Amino acid sequence: MAISGRYVLLVLVGLVPVLLAPGWGTVLAVLGVLAALAAADLVLAGSLRSVQLQRAEPGNVALNGTIDARLTVRNDGNRRLRGTLRDGWQPSAGARNPVQDVDIPAHESRRVTVRLQPVRRGDLKAPHVTLRSFGPLRLAARQRTMECPGAVRVLPPFHSRRHLPSKLRKLRELDGKAAVQIRGAGTEFDSLRDYVRGDDVRSIDWRATARRSSVVVRTWRPERDRRVVMVLDTSRTSAARIDDETRLDTGMEAALLLGVLAERGGDRVDFLAFDRRTRAWAGSAVQGNLLGQLVQAMAPLDAELIEMDWPAVPAQVRAVTAHRSLVVLLTSLDGGAPEEGLLPAAARLANDHVVVVAAVRDPQLGTMLRDRADATGVFRAAAAERALLQRAAVSAELRRLGVEVVDAEPHQLPPRLADMYIRLKAAGKL
Amino acid sequence: MTGVNTAGIRQPETSVAGPDTLPAPGRGPLASLRKHRSLALLATVCAIALGMAVWGQLAPKGDATPLSVSNAGPEGARAVSEILGRHGVDVHKARNFEAAMSALEAGSSPTLLLYDRSGILDEPRLLDLAAAAGRLVLVTPRLETLSALDSDIRQAGVVPDASPALVPGCSLPDAQAAGDISGKSGFVYDGGVSCYRPSGSAAGLLAVSGDGRLSVLGSTGVLSNDGLDELGHAALALRTLGGSSELVWYLPSLEDLDTFGSPQTLDDLAPDWVRYLGPWLIVVALTAIAWRGRRLGPLVFEPLPVVVKAVETAEGRARMYHDAHAVEQARDNLRAGTLARLAGKLRLGPGATAEHTIDAAARLLGRPAAEVRDLVNHHPRTEARLVAWAQELNNLEKEVSSR
Repeated sequence: MAISGRYVLLVLVGLVPVLLAPGWGTVLAVLGVLAALAAADLVLAGSLRSVQLQRAEPGNVALNGTIDARLTVRNDGNRRLRGTLRDGWQPSAGARNPVQDVDIPAHESRRVTVRLQPVRRGDLKAPHVTLRSFGPLRLAARQRTMECPGAVRVLPPFHSRRHLPSKLRKLRELDGKAAVQIRGAGTEFDSLRDYVRGDDVRSIDWRATARRSSVVVRTWRPERDRRVVMVLDTSRTSAARIDDETRLDTGMEAALLLGVLAERGGDRVDFLAFDRRTRAWAGSAVQGNLLGQLVQAMAPLDAELIEMDWPAVPAQVRAVTAHRSLVVLLTSLDGGAPEEGLLPAAARLANDHVVVVAAVRDPQLGTMLRDRADATGVFRAAAAERALLQRAAVSAELRRLGVEVVDAEPHQLPPRLADMYIRLKAAGKL
Repeated sequence: MTGVNTAGIRQPETSVAGPDTLPAPGRGPLASLRKHRSLALLATVCAIALGMAVWGQLAPKGDATPLSVSNAGPEGARAVSEILGRHGVDVHKARNFEAAMSALEAGSSPTLLLYDRSGILDEPRLLDLAAAAGRLVLVTPRLETLSALDSDIRQAGVVPDASPALVPGCSLPDAQAAGDISGKSGFVYDGGVSCYRPSGSAAGLLAVSGDGRLSVLGSTGVLSNDGLDELGHAALALRTLGGSSELVWYLPSLEDLDTFGSPQTLDDLAPDWVRYLGPWLIVVALTAIAWRGRRLGPLVFEPLPVVVKAVETAEGRARMYHDAHAVEQARDNLRAGTLARLAGKLRLGPGATAEHTIDAAARLLGRPAAEVRDLVNHHPRTEARLVAWAQELNNLEKEVSSR
């Protein structure tokens, strides 16, 4: 049960008779009247036992987007239900109007719409709904909390989408679809077409030109139907925050851009989130939109506070594909001992595949490096220097093993990884 | 989210028992008690300790009033009253003025011991007491008490510290028989027959009025449990108080404060309804609390993922260097970092040694190679030198990159 502000005012008004006719008798009488009013209001309030709730699945929403969560309240009682409803969304779901007034006549139902603006990725839940039903005087109310689980899946934002047009243009240039060609851009002979001004003269096919009256050039296209396997590290090191987002989120951005790009490039894409076991999997083998699959697979991921099981990674990649493919490891170069985990695994993978390690570099290390005003600053610079040297050593070791390394600051990582993919594709290394 | 996933880890994938076959967690107060066993134990211990403390505070304490006949402490006077009782003196302890008066009136010319520390009794009551008592023994009386009794004995200061033991020095038989007494923290009184005079003073520790009905004793040490066995205290106390077969021992307390005729309180002056205003406003406040305090449903659980600032490790290492004054280590790091970056800027390739890098940098800057080498290979010994050297190194890097 609950009381309203109106009831508090009524109690305050009850002071008047008490002051006009002072005495314990008056006090008791006024208290009795107040209690009787509250009891009557409670008894006359609409019953909450006979209320049915039904939630419409809100579905998916991108981070920072808005979505409406709909809830149908059915009043099966014989009295009108007037009161307040609170939809219990967790705080990060960003419910704008979780508390709403409802007025439902007997044997009717009403729909309540709560607007959500989630501020966190993942599956956000609403475990219960609370209803408060006031009596006709709106003095006192019955209250009941009902289990009514609901969830909304918040997808990763894919901010790196803005890099997609420029990268796709580069890919098309490779493909020979762009009018102006650069020789050597692809490795597989595609077709012959008429020369247009600006084409590389080295690509003129003289034999074909001799057979025709116009100049003909050969076009090349990059190899197609290769495999790209992206492995996202969800172990403890991915919980580290760099700039405004965790390594995990940056890795997702990079994986989304590369996945979409590679799919347009005609390659088959597989995505794997792994620490000690597979957390998520998505790939072009399954019917449907790859981007949708990727974001669905990534949405509920969170960094786990456990160590990455690097020795198991080659087997995981083999389970995805037995063919030679481009394996992208989205992980970190520092933290823990890459010498024991990452390096041997990358070396084993590099025997069968083209391996790229993509890692986020902390821009704050660079700032620490430059501030040398006092002893504290110099020691910080020395510590940052050590961290950077360690990364450089690990990168150098990886390159020695024939592994490509993309080491970039958070907002730079997705385009740099896409560039790396385009370069490898252009060079025909896939 | 995290909670869900960690639950998944705890339950191994190979386990045949699904979540359905696991024993359901018990509900009810007993199960929750078992769950929070240590918490419950701690709460119990706290409750017991609190209870004991409260009980100790509320339990009736022993009488701690100075010179009380039931106080067995050093300041009490139980010893002297016991001794008097064994010698056939009937000691009545009076709790308040009425009890004292009735005890005095019941007895036949009894002796009254009056020790009014705070000057609680007013003049009419003192006179009543004096009239009813056969003999009056005042212990360290205040000026008001003496003047109210209209006796010729007056207060005359304190016993000087230089007079530890006082000789009788008078013809009073009680004093003569008792001999020396201690004058420690005592008062002297003038008038009547005064005994135990400190040297150079006309006033004494014991003063008896001319008719012998009023005796004034200027020291509580003579009667207290603590001092009774010293010098002639016991003899003086017994002779002074044991003069008659009945003794009324009266220590006025706050209970005897005269409240009659005090002015009207605010409560009496205020109108009738005021006494209902406060309680009713409390009722209003309680209703308001119930109104605002009732939450619309339970709180919703928000699983928070673990996020750590990545730069923390580097900053922790920096603090460690600073605390350990690791100048040499810091110098090595800075030198290696600078050389690596210089090699990159000068495009020397990954295999470049320090010597190559220094030579190439010197050539680029047009400076003698030895000078650059001395700068790069310098070993700063103090933190101040390290700071200066680190800045020079930074400048060198800037110069190279600006060319």
